[in-house]
This record gives sequence, C-alpha cells and structure tokens, in this order.
Amino acid sequence: VRELLTPRERFGLLVIDEPQDRVPVFPLITAHAARAAGIPLRDYYTDGAAMARGQLVAQETYGADFISFFSEVGLVAEALGSQFDYPEDDLPMLRKPKWMELAQLDDCVADPTTDGRLRVYLEAITYAYEARGDTVPILAYVPAPFTTAQQLVDQEAFLLGLLTESERVKDLLAYATRSVVGFCRAIIGAGGLPILVDPLASGSVISAEHYREFALPSEAEVIRYLHRYDLDIVLHICGDTGATIALMPETGADLLSIDRIEMPDAVAGAGQTCRIIGNYDTSAILLSDPQTVEGEVAEMVAAGRKCPKGFVAATGCEVPLDTPPGNILAFVRAAREAGLNSDYGWRRA
Amino acid sequence: MGSPNVDCRTSSVGYSDPGPARVRFEEWLELFDRIPDGLIERYHYYENREAWSKYLFPPQTFAIYGMRHLRRLKFDNSLAALRMWGFVQNETERLFRAKQTGRRVIAAMGDLGAVPVIVNSFPGCVAFYPDCIWWTPFMMESRVLFDAAAELGIGDAACFSRAALGAFTKHSYFPDPDLVIASTGASCDDYSGVEQLAESLTTDVLWVEEPMRCDRRPVGPMIRLLVREYERVVERMEKLTGHSITEDELRVGVCRANRVRRLVARLRELAFRHAALAALEMMVVEFGNLHYYSDISEWTAVLEHLLATAEERAARGERVVAEDALRVVWVTPPADPLLLTYVEDAGARVVGTEYVINQALELVDESKPRLEAVAESFMAASLIGTSRARAQSAIDQARVYGAEGVIISGIFGGSHCAMEGRLIADYVRAELDLPVLEFDVTSPSREVARQVGTRIGAFMEVLRSRR
Repeated sequence: VRELLTPRERFGLLVIDEPQDRVPVFPLITAHAARAAGIPLRDYYTDGAAMARGQLVAQETYGADFISFFSEVGLVAEALGSQFDYPEDDLPMLRKPKWMELAQLDDCVADPTTDGRLRVYLEAITYAYEARGDTVPILAYVPAPFTTAQQLVDQEAFLLGLLTESERVKDLLAYATRSVVGFCRAIIGAGGLPILVDPLASGSVISAEHYREFALPSEAEVIRYLHRYDLDIVLHICGDTGATIALMPETGADLLSIDRIEMPDAVAGAGQTCRIIGNYDTSAILLSDPQTVEGEVAEMVAAGRKCPKGFVAATGCEVPLDTPPGNILAFVRAAREAGLNSDYGWRRA
Repeated sequence: MGSPNVDCRTSSVGYSDPGPARVRFEEWLELFDRIPDGLIERYHYYENREAWSKYLFPPQTFAIYGMRHLRRLKFDNSLAALRMWGFVQNETERLFRAKQTGRRVIAAMGDLGAVPVIVNSFPGCVAFYPDCIWWTPFMMESRVLFDAAAELGIGDAACFSRAALGAFTKHSYFPDPDLVIASTGASCDDYSGVEQLAESLTTDVLWVEEPMRCDRRPVGPMIRLLVREYERVVERMEKLTGHSITEDELRVGVCRANRVRRLVARLRELAFRHAALAALEMMVVEFGNLHYYSDISEWTAVLEHLLATAEERAARGERVVAEDALRVVWVTPPADPLLLTYVEDAGARVVGTEYVINQALELVDESKPRLEAVAESFMAASLIGTSRARAQSAIDQARVYGAEGVIISGIFGGSHCAMEGRLIADYVRAELDLPVLEFDVTSPSREVARQVGTRIGAFMEVLRSRR
C-alpha cells in the first residue's frame, strides 16, 4: 500500500515538531544491507558504490524511513593512522591503534577525500543521494571523538588515562574532534546528514561522571558545529545509557538514539527536549520469530509515542548481520501499524 | 530611493563579501566557513529569537533536506544573497512555525499578488501562495508532488502548478490553512482546476472572481467588480479573526506592500541596467512580491540588504556577469531555475522579465480608497488580459534595456502556454525584429534537456552574429 508521505516528508515534519502520518521507522540497517543485496561484506565497506547499492536495496526491501551508512567505529581513527584488517566476510577489525599509550600528538587532520576509507562513505552518500535523495533522508554515522580516541590509542591505556591523565585524554579528544568535524563537513557537502555515534561512551564502558567530563563536551562541540548548518542531529549511544540519559540533551542533540534503557525512563529523562529513537533489542530481532517481534515492537511504539518531542521506532543498535529478513519486515510492519496517526490529514484524499 | 542603512560589505559584521561573482554550490560551503557564528545568530524571522527562527544557512543545508537541484545552480556570492536563499528555502518550516506561534495562515491562490496585501493587513495573519510550490518538483528533482496530483485527476497534461494540489494532499508542505482565498475567472484555467480539486482538501474556501481585462471596455466596471470581491475578502477575514479592520490598518498594509514593490523595482533596474545581480536571484526577488515569503517585515529587511549590495556594486561598476553579455528579455518564469544559470553560463544576461506577475510589481495608489487602489493595481495583471499585452510588456522592456533577443520558456502541458508563446513571439518579431527562442520546460531533471541546451547554444550564436 502506497503511503501518504515519503520518508523525507515524514522526517521533515518530525524535526519541526509537527505530527506525522505515522511514526518514522528505522531499523538500524547498516552492514546487514550487504546481506540484503548479496554483496560481499568486504566490498560493502571498501567500495562506495557497493555500499550505496546495498543500502538502496535494503531500504526498498524493508521500507525503512532512512538510508544509513556505517561499517564500524574505527573509520576516523583509521584515516588518522590506526591500522585495520579487512576480513572477507566480517567488518574491519582494529589491528593496531595509532598509539599504544597517551603519547605526544601529531598535527594530523584526516582528509576525507584521501585518507582511509572516508571517501568510501562520501561516494556512497553521493550515489544514494542522487538515486533516492528526494524521498529518503540519507544519514551517515560518524564516530564521535570519544569513540574515535579509543581507536587511536590502546583502549586500556585510554580508559586508564581517564583516571590518571585527564589532560592528555582531553588533548586527544580535541585532536580527534578536528578530524570528526572535517569528516562531517565533507558529508554535508555530499548531501548526507551526519549522525554522531558514540558507543564507547555508553554506561556499559564508562561512568556517568566520566561521560560528563570527557565524552559529552566533545559530542557537544561537534553538534555545535553541525548546528551552524541548522541540521537536526542524532546522537546514538548504544549499550546502557540509564545513568546518562538526563545528561545527553546537554550535548545539544536534537534526537537521541538509545539502546539498553527502559523507554519510559528515556522519555522521562530526555523526552522534553529531544526526540527519542529506539530501542528494540537487537538480540531479539536476530533470534526471535516474526510474531514475537511484532508484538514486542507494538509495545515499544506504544511507549515511545508518549515522548513529547516525537519518536522514531528503531532498533537499539545495528541490526545484526545475519538477522532473518522476515524479522526485519515484521519490525517495520508492526511499527508502522502501531505508529499510525489516524488524525493526520483531517480530510484524506 | 535612498541607500538603506543596512550591513553590506563592511567588516562591521565580521564578514566581508568577496568580489561579485556567481559561484557553484561547493564554493558556498567554503564561503560559509568564513561566516562568524554571530552573523548566523543575527537573522531571525517573525522577530523571534528562538533557534528555530534562524535562517542564515548555506544551500547545503537545504540540499540535505531534499532540495537536490541546489547542487546544480550558481549563486550570487554575497552575504545578502545567502541571506535571501536561506530565508526563501526556509519557508515551509516558517509557515508551520506561524501556526505553532498562534498566527493564522491564509492560502491565497491564483491572483498572484493582490489578496496578500489585504490579508497581511490583519494582525497576526500570514498569507502564502501554494501556487509557488510549482518550483518544488524541480528543486527536489522529484515527481512526488506531480504523482500525488495525478492521483486526484490532474496529470501531465496540465501546468506544473498542479504540484500545489499534491501538496494539499500531503499536509506536509504547508500547514492546513485557516482559510483559502481562491481566485478564478480570467486566469490560468489549469490552476482553476487545481483550486477546484483542492477545495475538497480544505475546510474553508472563499472564491473570488477575477474580471477579464478587455482593452475595448472601460476598466471602471472591472475595478468595481474587484472591489466588491475584496470587500468579501475583508468580511471573511473579519469573521475569521474576529477583528474589524480599520482603514488605517489597510493603509499600513498597502504602504508595506509598496515598500517591497519599490525595493524590487530598484533592484530590477540595478540588475537589468548594471548587472548588479544575476537572473536567478532576481527571479526569487520578483516572486517575493507575491506574498513576501510569509514574513513581510523580514523579507523587506532581506531586500534592503540586497539593495545595499547591488547599489554598492553599481557604484563601483562591478558586475556578476560579463559586461558584454548578450541581453535578453525572459517571458514566463522558468519552472526549472537551472535554465537561468544555464543561459548566463552561455554568455547572456536577463535585462527584462514578464513572469506573469505584472500585477505584483505595480505600485498601489496610496491616495485612493484602499480596496479600490488594490483593485486598480491588479488591473495590470499578466493573465487577465491578452497575449498582446504580455508581449507589449516584453517589447517595452526590450526597448528600455536594449535587449538583443527574447526567450520564452513555456510550460509543457500548460494550456495557456500552448498558443501564447507563439503569439508573443510573433508580436515581438513584428515590432522589434528581434530573434526569439521559444521552448517548453518538460519535467524535473538533473540537467537542462539536451535539445533545449542545443537550441539555447544556437540562439546565443545568432545573437552574437547580429552584433
């Protein structure tokens, strides 16, 4: 059944605080798109055209309201000098960070057109924008400075540094921020809307105090830059955000994409100022059956729609690579039905 | 008109314009990097100070939200032009914000310029034209709105203004209007069809009759008819708002509209005579006379900013296109704005326009009873008279500005375009012996249709050969 609004029209209403025909639906389909399109995984994350084709096929197959480009959180760190392996049928893996300890920084800033695989993203965005940019928002996940920093320096040394060398950590975050901002700017030029993703700032990794002192300021700096362009910015932090949800709006994010937190808590903690995106369990979408998914998603949407600023029905994190397509279709179907706004367009054509 | 007291190329705002030029989409991203945060914070619409009312953003912002055609256009590189583009591209959000902040939103349809003068005289009311959505499919390079219109029965054999019908079905391009004032009669018949179908999608429609301007009959009865129609507009607006409008409020409304029209008249002179602004920006400027992009105060400030920039350029002898560019008059607004960029890239500049909105360029006589004065100005309307009258407007401008050719861009499927283009071309050739290029814009596209591009190139060669 053809819907009244295109995904772009729907998103446009959400971000100006207007009701939509239904809740936007956003299973976070990233590398799973390669599976959906039958593209070898390594091709997906090393070839912009392949990445775009995968996303276009996945968006058409599942009917999600967004196209979203992402492979892994080391993207900016790689462009700055960390080394990654490219398994044939798995996502890139950090082989060696740029530094093994919080060392003297260089003055390197990643060039999105030449360094690492940043250009792969830019090519993918350009391709998808030309193909479907009139009807579907094109999103691109950008690893936040805090997460990027943990891919630049040995993670254990970094986390220890939070306790013992806070100034060096902050210098490193500033270093990462410069390249993150530069990458965001390139994405803007290509027609994509940057999403800031900071999984290593979740409560599963650091305390709320450390989040406030280290991760939040660098997220806020990137978001301030993006607000120069009047863009509506999603901050995605997967894992447990129960202790930080009330802090996350201080970043200035317009939409918060959340994972392991009860929806009423997320709405209570941030829903007055931010739209909430979330948060169906990714293990469930991988392992459950369509009937179970439908029932649980309907419950989630019912809770999420209580968010005063608006709600997007999403998975809490990336849809796992080998998720059965039937479960994703069930997610989308259920979210659309449960999220229908029968008052929209008071006199339908 | 004195030089407006606004910021221009001074460094007092922390930013200085580069030398005048038309720049590509990518170049505006570079320029925007130099704009200080304080300037972005400076400009707001609806005299609001909240973050949502800012509008000084680069084309990239609007491209990300779907305006794909911006990537192909060339823009004036001045701060004033950036401000103009940001303000205009922001209009959909602005209309929704109008409703959210308690304003009444009135859709004027069909008459292109007169009704908003009355509507905006009412406190807290904002008029807009759904008609102007005809550009949206081209700006988005999309058929979405045309497809939505087609589902309601108006397909490709009608004017691009059918996109407005698609927008009515969507409820996402403008808020549901509190009132629709639909003008019909001696006007675009395709658009009258759009209005009829839109009626079923709205709650409250007031139909207004437009008289035909017949050169062999006195205009008095036509003006009286229009005054009666405008009295009905006032009556319905008073009922809607619960506010009895005073003669002084109408006077202020007329003066504000005239202020805009005078600014635009001067900008036209500077653009056509001195090439101080390019054709693309000037089309946006001229169409601002219709409904001021839904905020007359801020639009006036934007125009003042543009005028200060243009005056300064003219005083310095600076131009945005080459001095020896071929001078052409353009008839009928191109639905695809890329055509204006294309023609300028091909070596021409626009020195006159007949964009079917002559009524909106005309000053309203401030010494006469208000409704009568508005009606009188409307009698200059492009579409209520003959093709001969439209041709005469093009001929007059061609004489004044020394045009070397005339371009007529028709609307594929637009019923009044089917014959009118040929008629206007014949009149121009007969009276001025100027070459005329006539073509139809067919559908939204990433680029100018190859055949049209070839014809434009050949036309430029003809014009050059006549020098």
